[in-house]
Amino acid sequence: MDWTTFGVWLAAVFTLGIISFLYRDNIFYKLCEAIFVGISAGYWLITFFWDNLYSKFYSQVTDPVDPQWTPWIGFVLGALMLTRLFEKIGWLSRWPLAFIIGATAGVYMMFYFVSNAMLQVSATILPIYTGSISGAISNLFIIVGTFCGLIYFFFSKEHKGAFGGAAKIGIWFLMATFGASFGYTVMSRMSLMLGRLDFLFGQWLGLIK
Amino acid sequence: MNIKEVIAVILIIAFFLCAYFLFPKPVEFSQTVSIILTILLALTLLVIGVMTFMGRYIERRVVFLFVGIALTLPFFMQFDLPVPISPEVQAAYDELEKLPEGSKVLAAFDYDPPSAPELQPMAVAFMKYAFQRGLKIIIMGLWPQGPQQADQAIQTAFEVIPELEDKIKYGRDYVNLGFQSGNEFVILRMGESFKAMFPTDIYNTPYDSIPILKNVKNYSNIDYCFNFSAGKPGTVEWVQGAVDRFNLKMSAGNTAVQAPMAYPYLQAGQLDGLMGGMAGGAEFEKLTEHYDKATVFIKSQSFAHAVVIVFIIIGNVAFFRGRRRKK
Amino acid sequence: MDITKRNIKNLYCVHLIVFLFLISSLTVFAQTETVAEEDTTTIFIPQSPISVTAEDYKYDRGESVVINWGLSPDDDGSGKVTGYEIFRSEAEQDDFISVNVVAPGISTFRDKSVENNVEYIYGIAALNGDDASPMTLSEPVLPDTEIVNWNLLNLFFIGLLIAGSVIYFIAHAKRGKKLFIRKIAGLEAIDEAIGRATEMGRPILFIPGINDMDDVQTIAGITILGRVAKVVADYDIKINMPVARSIVMTTARETIKEAYVGAGRPDAYSDNMVRYITDEQFGYVAAVDGIMVREKPATCFYLGAFFAESLILAETGNSVGAIQIAGTAMPAQLPFFVAACDYTLIGEELFAASAYLSNEPKQLGSLKGQDVGKFMAMAAIALGVISVTIARAWGGSFFPWLDEFMHRLFTITN
Repeated sequence: MDWTTFGVWLAAVFTLGIISFLYRDNIFYKLCEAIFVGISAGYWLITFFWDNLYSKFYSQVTDPVDPQWTPWIGFVLGALMLTRLFEKIGWLSRWPLAFIIGATAGVYMMFYFVSNAMLQVSATILPIYTGSISGAISNLFIIVGTFCGLIYFFFSKEHKGAFGGAAKIGIWFLMATFGASFGYTVMSRMSLMLGRLDFLFGQWLGLIK
Repeated sequence: MNIKEVIAVILIIAFFLCAYFLFPKPVEFSQTVSIILTILLALTLLVIGVMTFMGRYIERRVVFLFVGIALTLPFFMQFDLPVPISPEVQAAYDELEKLPEGSKVLAAFDYDPPSAPELQPMAVAFMKYAFQRGLKIIIMGLWPQGPQQADQAIQTAFEVIPELEDKIKYGRDYVNLGFQSGNEFVILRMGESFKAMFPTDIYNTPYDSIPILKNVKNYSNIDYCFNFSAGKPGTVEWVQGAVDRFNLKMSAGNTAVQAPMAYPYLQAGQLDGLMGGMAGGAEFEKLTEHYDKATVFIKSQSFAHAVVIVFIIIGNVAFFRGRRRKK
Repeated sequence: MDITKRNIKNLYCVHLIVFLFLISSLTVFAQTETVAEEDTTTIFIPQSPISVTAEDYKYDRGESVVINWGLSPDDDGSGKVTGYEIFRSEAEQDDFISVNVVAPGISTFRDKSVENNVEYIYGIAALNGDDASPMTLSEPVLPDTEIVNWNLLNLFFIGLLIAGSVIYFIAHAKRGKKLFIRKIAGLEAIDEAIGRATEMGRPILFIPGINDMDDVQTIAGITILGRVAKVVADYDIKINMPVARSIVMTTARETIKEAYVGAGRPDAYSDNMVRYITDEQFGYVAAVDGIMVREKPATCFYLGAFFAESLILAETGNSVGAIQIAGTAMPAQLPFFVAACDYTLIGEELFAASAYLSNEPKQLGSLKGQDVGKFMAMAAIALGVISVTIARAWGGSFFPWLDEFMHRLFTITN
């Protein structure tokens, strides 16, 4: 039995099963969906076990040369999360949750503040006079778009009068950005579909080189 | 299921079985056939446009069918499309060109098989280019399947240029450190010590006994970073954690969905260069003179985009007609 | 001896003398040639670099040292100096190792391979091919870590200002003072959507995104869920909430349970209202699509962090005729929600809606504090653009200085 060919046929059948949803919901799609959901849940369970529990905890604490004790902290916090299952001691799970939220909030605060706020403000300070019309228009677009976008998301003042006008310009810029982003994403989805079609017509049916 | 649907399913199954067992392989349309099919497709779209204008709207499944046809037909057509190089892809290539032979490049593979159609072609082009230039590649991933995708890219590069397989040695010219969970915390920790996050490589070889990693303690010992990203964690986290914090120089290849999020970083100078989606991959293939999947797929992409543009126009015609009728 | 014999003898002598002369002249010539070769291959040792200073590189965890030196007087572009070799030795020992070789004309190098808290001495030698000048040594240098990175002072002050504003407004809100937040148009749409589900007798589908509780968008989504769950509990509408993360499942169950308890109907709550599907993105969306098509919810809420599945969800929801309210701060997904949903909370509107609905002082205060940050950004952009434009157009000294100041205020130098 050529298992590779069998695997290719299986993948092709599942691909067609999922694509059949485009016509309408059907039993074939439901079967493929259920199998996919089950396999992905199982896959993530195994990945979690080997990449986290085993490599990050077990192998480090039982290392014959240099056993670590710090993974025990993570283990205890993780075990505390499981106390959610028991009503009487479920409140203990708030501690590891607080740790996760607090740690990520602290890291993200600096990440986003520096990279997404300060450096972007610095990059928006551009001259309108550049010596060329195209440079000036380009810079003006960036400046006006950023400024009016900030006004749109300013919640301490009603959008009325000139402020409201600027907010409207801001939402126009946002919509133009969404359109560009939409176009990019359509391209991305086409690419993913191309990958599947390449598999179906190339690897499975062998109709393309 | 009604009888028409049953017949349709039988016909589809019959088509695929015939295609598998009976059709000549590969199938290539001549130029005449390609032109005729393109004209037929355009005429059909025109008919749909006229029907819409006359108030006879088509259903959405017809749109799905046309997009599927537009994606599939170019596989069998023989024509080339020009691939103009965008400044951001050129910038990424130029940064790599500046690196002298022997430079250490950190390649972060942060994607999985669903995003492979977009990112794998540029990954293959990158690995081939890097090996030919004599760059030393340190591979790692923040997504579980990322390092496996890297291995596949290397294998494909070796298949394209068999001499590379003899010339390039694992451990000396490249290493695969594998996947590490922890997202941005891994990026931050690598700023102090790569070994702390990757005590062994993907084959369990200790960090200290890998020749390419000698004197590589953290980002300050890396000459450049290249990130292939399909989402989070990805380029955004690398910019925030490694570029802005540890002054690492970086370019990125992103899926087309992620690319708009990376453009602000490109404009602010935090990223040196950016390859967005399959178009970016095709441009990079052209620059590195490795014409592969991205260059082939871009034809289908262009066809499909044209069809989608026509349907957007048709959709707007339907929308404004509908509004006028309501008035 | 007769004359003939004497002549022959003389002739031999002459020949011998000539022969000897020729031999010696050849020898001298050869020696002369040898001497001439030696003369054309003189070894040129360039002069040593003038001075070498080694300093700890600041704010780097003690991993690097910057070495500067004065160029060798022979490094004048004529090729007498082909490069500089950098040597390093630990201060107590005398075994110099070569660290790097740089091109002529370069007078600085950063050595990134040092150990923290180990004292080093550096030596620089000027090279001419394989020949090297004597090393010029530096004073001992100790790579060190600094507790405070003074280059980040601007970051500290701006951060202090914004964080201070947030803390101030939170305290303000806790004291019961009303904080003005402008009306968010999407909130009326939420009430309308829930009302529609009540009228039609069909369930509500609530998707809190696919990220975990560490994502602030998920937290905002769960906060709005609290409001939705109250109405659901009051009007006995069915709510269906498939989730992709286990912690989100437990948090959502608590939120909905609280709402049912608050409505006086704890028996009506069931854990099955919130179900864990899978962590895998497309496995999750396949399952949710199936739920949408089978159960045909009247209202779909997509409030949280989404990725590629956003358009799939929105399009499927559209196809089953549900009213869809979306809210996310993922810029890549907003276009799909805007195109396919009836109403979309764009970016920070999601957090504003969450603050508005919960009326929680922390959320309201945070929103106001962030507005202070936005105001600072707008002011900086306006001031910076004016100063850089005037500086470019007219020059002078004040506006270029102001432009430089504004850029440095918002740039990080490590």
